Amino acid sequence: MDELDPVIHASARLRITATLATLVAGDRLAFPRLQQLLGMTPGNLSTHLRKLEDAGYVEVTKAHQGRSPVTYLSLSSRGRGAFENYTENLKKLLGGTS
Amino acid sequence: MTNDNRPTGLADENEAALSPEEMLLLLQNQQNDVYRQQLSPLPWMLGVWGVAWLVGFLLLWSAAPEGNPWLQVAGPAAAIGFAVLMAASIALSTVFGIRIGRGVRGESSFAGAVYGISWPLCGSAFAILGVALIRNGMSPELASLYFPSAFSLMVGTLYLAGAALWHQKSQLVLGIILLVTGSVAPFFGAPTNNLVMALLGGGSLLIAAALFAVRLRRVV
Repeated sequence: MDELDPVIHASARLRITATLATLVAGDRLAFPRLQQLLGMTPGNLSTHLRKLEDAGYVEVTKAHQGRSPVTYLSLSSRGRGAFENYTENLKKLLGGTS
Repeated sequence: MTNDNRPTGLADENEAALSPEEMLLLLQNQQNDVYRQQLSPLPWMLGVWGVAWLVGFLLLWSAAPEGNPWLQVAGPAAAIGFAVLMAASIALSTVFGIRIGRGVRGESSFAGAVYGISWPLCGSAFAILGVALIRNGMSPELASLYFPSAFSLMVGTLYLAGAALWHQKSQLVLGIILLVTGSVAPFFGAPTNNLVMALLGGGSLLIAAALFAVRLRRVV
């Protein structure tokens, strides 16, 4: 049995990863919108995003909207793969099949 | 990790891992919640168009002398009413469309922008073609067959494009219904074609809005 990825296996980071995984590959989500979809405080979200970024699962892009800077987030291909593996392992663990 | 019994702060709580069942449920609930939040304007969008089609085309049908036997509407009033309803629907659709895609950049924002601009571009092209046909001798009777159908064919085609872009079968079904409506309505002759547009086109849009609203509610 494969172990559950400790980077994703924490409720806040699972929710972040699951939300970013709904994006079409090649799309990025603005930080305020991600925060709204998760209902998390900016500080808490930043802390967990940093852990995901350190693991190479999340890519951070800075852009400008008019004069104000906006941070965009997306799953890296490594992060997407890790999320898919995590989901698969969870299901294996629960169903005991495949 | 933090599965001991000490009181947990917010950071610890978020760091905690639940049982595999709860984690899978958390994952599924979160993704469903994202879809529901992002797609929540869709039933409104379809509903607005449904009302605009139903009322708008009933107005046009009621303006013709041999149209609505129960209610007669003056021609200019019907035309203005129709135009206002369509313009309001386009404006509201743009607002809803922006709400659906807000905060997203990248691959799909280009597709979304092209799709958004397709509506006024295609609308203008069909309208200009109609004017050109009138200038080349198309009668008012034929024009009253052409314009509703051209509009329905345009909307149907754009729904098909939307279905391809966002992998939505409901838009595909709706697109096909509107193509059938637009191509079949002229066989009924004017002004009955407007009644067909109102009932078949408007009715389908309203049913789609209701179905979508129910489906979104069930997701969570």
